[in-house]
Amino acid sequence: MIEKLAKTLVELKKEFVKIYDGKSQIQEVIPKSKSELFPIEESHLKLLHEFATANPIYYNSFEKQIGSVNCIVYEGDINKYWLNSIQHGSSKAPFSPTWIMSGYISSLLAKELGYLQVIDIGSGDGRIAFCAKILDLESYSIEIDDMLVDLQNILTSTLDFHPYCSDATTFDYSSLNLSRPIFFVGGLAQMGGVSLASGVLGKINSITNLKNDAGWVFTGTLSQKYASDPKNEAGWGTLIDDNSLKSIQSITLPTAWTLHESDETPYIFAESRK
Amino acid sequence: MTSAEEISKMFDSESQKLSSLFDVANSKIDMSIHEIVETYYQVMNVSSMATMLEQQPESEELIEKTRQIKKLISERFDSDIHPKIVEHLSVSIQELTKILQSRNSGEKSKEQTESDAKSFDELRQTMSTKEFVEQYENMIFDD
Repeated sequence: MIEKLAKTLVELKKEFVKIYDGKSQIQEVIPKSKSELFPIEESHLKLLHEFATANPIYYNSFEKQIGSVNCIVYEGDINKYWLNSIQHGSSKAPFSPTWIMSGYISSLLAKELGYLQVIDIGSGDGRIAFCAKILDLESYSIEIDDMLVDLQNILTSTLDFHPYCSDATTFDYSSLNLSRPIFFVGGLAQMGGVSLASGVLGKINSITNLKNDAGWVFTGTLSQKYASDPKNEAGWGTLIDDNSLKSIQSITLPTAWTLHESDETPYIFAESRK
Repeated sequence: MTSAEEISKMFDSESQKLSSLFDVANSKIDMSIHEIVETYYQVMNVSSMATMLEQQPESEELIEKTRQIKKLISERFDSDIHPKIVEHLSVSIQELTKILQSRNSGEKSKEQTESDAKSFDELRQTMSTKEFVEQYENMIFDD
């Protein structure tokens, strides 16, 4: 069901790109209501729309029929966050969000795989942690950029996904009392992601019993713009191998940075080889 | 025409093109990004040709031409035009950043946001051009 939902979202995105004629820097769509193609609980959809509506990165929204799906299109701009991150050198990779629907679907998969807590590393506006919270997973959002954490704090009035303004490679994860966590690592392997993931892996592996029970989600790319990894996995093969992890599943979903690309973003789910 | 004559003619033509680009660079402070990138590519193109010709000397005349062009690149470009371009790009980045920072406070209309997005694109393009020209600088130091 989750893979089908991911494929349907990719199709929806392709249809959207064909008809969208706006000028916004980023844009994304969320189905307006539950349908055969998007069998998502109405209460969940309502929360996803609330996240977008309350989120200051979006400055405009409108209803649009995309294929057979009635959607709300959200238009946004993240330039001021990029400007802040380059001035302070606070971020290894500039903020560029996945789609809210992609955050929801990948959280659905995390839940189906049996994880109980989601930790969104390099969380941007906290959308993955927010989506995980909708699904009753405990969630935490770690972001180094204070301006983005301020933004997240605006969004916690709907659901508290526990934003922390911290360097994820030095954060004290034992304070969260994690039992079966899954870590979503924001940022491509080639855009500082390997360094970020290695730092967090080091911290988690030092916590007794957590190494074998933790899951990992790596944001990959199939774009020719980036150097490929000799062990593949959309750029993450070497890190996965070096850390005694194994890839267990991947799903491909739309993101802001692949809007005009033919390839979507692969999310690689991995766990310990034990 | 012999092979050596053909090579010499091609080298003359590329050197002439480079010299013209240097003239353009000297005649104005505000070079476009296209002009900057074109100039650097031509410097690298002619430098590579000169190095290759030095390793396979076809004639003394050609070797002299390679010496001359390397001297021109060193004196006119590396010591004069390149530092001016780096300075110009740095100033442009500072100014654009300042302007965009000042526009970032308070509410903006949809039209203003989308208009500012063009200036952000310009800033990103200028920053990546600066990274590109700095790579040239690193290449010179490596040599």
